[in-house]
Amino acid sequence: MQTNEVSRREFIKRSGGALAVGTVILTGTDKVIAADKKMDEKGTIIDLSICDGCAAKNTPECVLACRTKNADKFPKVDQSELKPYWPQKKFEDWSDQQDNTKRLTPYNWTFVDQVTVEHDGKSEEVFVPRRCMHCDNPTCAGLCPFSAIEKDKNGAVVINENQCMGGAKCRDVCPWDIPQRQAGVGIYMNLAPDYLGGGVMFKCDFCADLLAEGKQPACVTACPKGAISFGTKQEMKDLAYKRANEISGYVYGDKENGGTATFYVSKVPYEKIDAAIKQSKKDSNDQKPGRPTMEVDAENKLDTLSGMALSAAIAPVAGLAAAGFAAYNKMKGQKKSHEQEKTE
Amino acid sequence: MNKKKQNKVYRQSLSNRLVHWITAISIFALIISGFGQMPMYKRYNITKLPGAEWLGEYSLTLVMHYVAAIVLIFIVFYHIFVHTLLKQFDAIPKRGDGKESVKIIKAMITKGEEPPSEKYLAEQRLAYAVIGVTILALVITGLVKVAKNVAFISVSHPIVFWSTAIHNTATFILIFLIIAHLAAFGIKANRKLLPGMFTGYVDKEYVKHRHSLWYKKLKNEKNS
Repeated sequence: MQTNEVSRREFIKRSGGALAVGTVILTGTDKVIAADKKMDEKGTIIDLSICDGCAAKNTPECVLACRTKNADKFPKVDQSELKPYWPQKKFEDWSDQQDNTKRLTPYNWTFVDQVTVEHDGKSEEVFVPRRCMHCDNPTCAGLCPFSAIEKDKNGAVVINENQCMGGAKCRDVCPWDIPQRQAGVGIYMNLAPDYLGGGVMFKCDFCADLLAEGKQPACVTACPKGAISFGTKQEMKDLAYKRANEISGYVYGDKENGGTATFYVSKVPYEKIDAAIKQSKKDSNDQKPGRPTMEVDAENKLDTLSGMALSAAIAPVAGLAAAGFAAYNKMKGQKKSHEQEKTE
Repeated sequence: MNKKKQNKVYRQSLSNRLVHWITAISIFALIISGFGQMPMYKRYNITKLPGAEWLGEYSLTLVMHYVAAIVLIFIVFYHIFVHTLLKQFDAIPKRGDGKESVKIIKAMITKGEEPPSEKYLAEQRLAYAVIGVTILALVITGLVKVAKNVAFISVSHPIVFWSTAIHNTATFILIFLIIAHLAAFGIKANRKLLPGMFTGYVDKEYVKHRHSLWYKKLKNEKNS
């Protein structure tokens, strides 16, 4: 019995040292994890019961405003420098289609999709302005291998073009394939452009610079019908549900991908809009990214990782416990054999 | 002790061997799945190889990366704590290890006399520290990367960016260190250590000759 007591005391003494080591290691990670206040985040409502795609004009005003506002951010490509993504034969170049306003490209960060949907026995023409939704927990930012995507304090999800290698993973993990790639630009051109990298990814940045100045995004101010509203995310969310309630309609963007800062309001169910977009893509044989679908309750791929994140947080404690158990047994064993030797 | 083991010295406990091999396997899985996050396999047509299609699925390689990381974190913390509790610090570098390593390497090349060594050679202690620090950097930055993916945790962007940069750089350093670690067994003098990581035992004559200080210590412990 005494053997155990002595080794227990010794064990506790040594545990102190071990704990100190562990604390030093863990405090480093603890300090950086602090929940930010999400009060400042901004949001928008896109009311599909109002938007008519600027029917009287060739190009919708929101699209034009976006193009003007961001013209100097669009990629400047030397076409003679374009090379295939070795060992593949292809590369993604939109520099010869800079005027294309019918889809998302590196030169066109918003467009208005148009589909016809049967609803309540009527054929409805639906216009859907599309762009980045600015998710609450953006999969693109979470999974970018270079952490080149940042969600700023206003909630704008912004790609840093000086850090982007153009692997297009953000597009693969985005439920709407939003970011679009342009080859021949970005840091990879200074490294080994023949073998590494693919360009830079471009998308709507919520006019982050305007938001920082307390102003509204260009598409919001440009809309002649007031179909796009801007405010704090919470205000927009509340207003979107209120508006949907008024027209017996639906909200899209609140639940999708775990929540976003963009709330679509429509009297036509989104399942129908989604199906119509998918059918239209199929009919026109256009499966390339740049014309997003509208899947209801699109799942956030990062959510499935949360359970494992908890295990990762527990792993150090489990390691410590296992070490304590192993060390205690070993010390007890040593003490015993030592005392046995003494008595022999 | 059976007859076979009479000419052997017990060098690596079961605990040490498990730590070594679980670390090796988890790091191998982390490198394979980590490259999948770059994303590399599709770009370089590796997914077109038979049986390699899954490497292009982020959802699979990411889960694999998390699982292997959890195993590695567990084992790293186990390793640190178990040796701290048992006061086993044989692998920690000592003052003068740099100079002594040069002497040992010189002796290996010129086939001259090596300075007497403890349980680990000076260069082994240095290698342990460098590999250890690299793995710790990967674990800490990896934990930051895990945290930032949790919906309710917000980590400031500069910390995320630098964690990622360190994580990516440390990966390449670790791959280089693993190659160096394996290349060490290209030198004949080191090969006698290999059985230690499998059976736990190494040749007694080898210990007497190359780890004479450790051998003396073991003998003293036995006699006391």
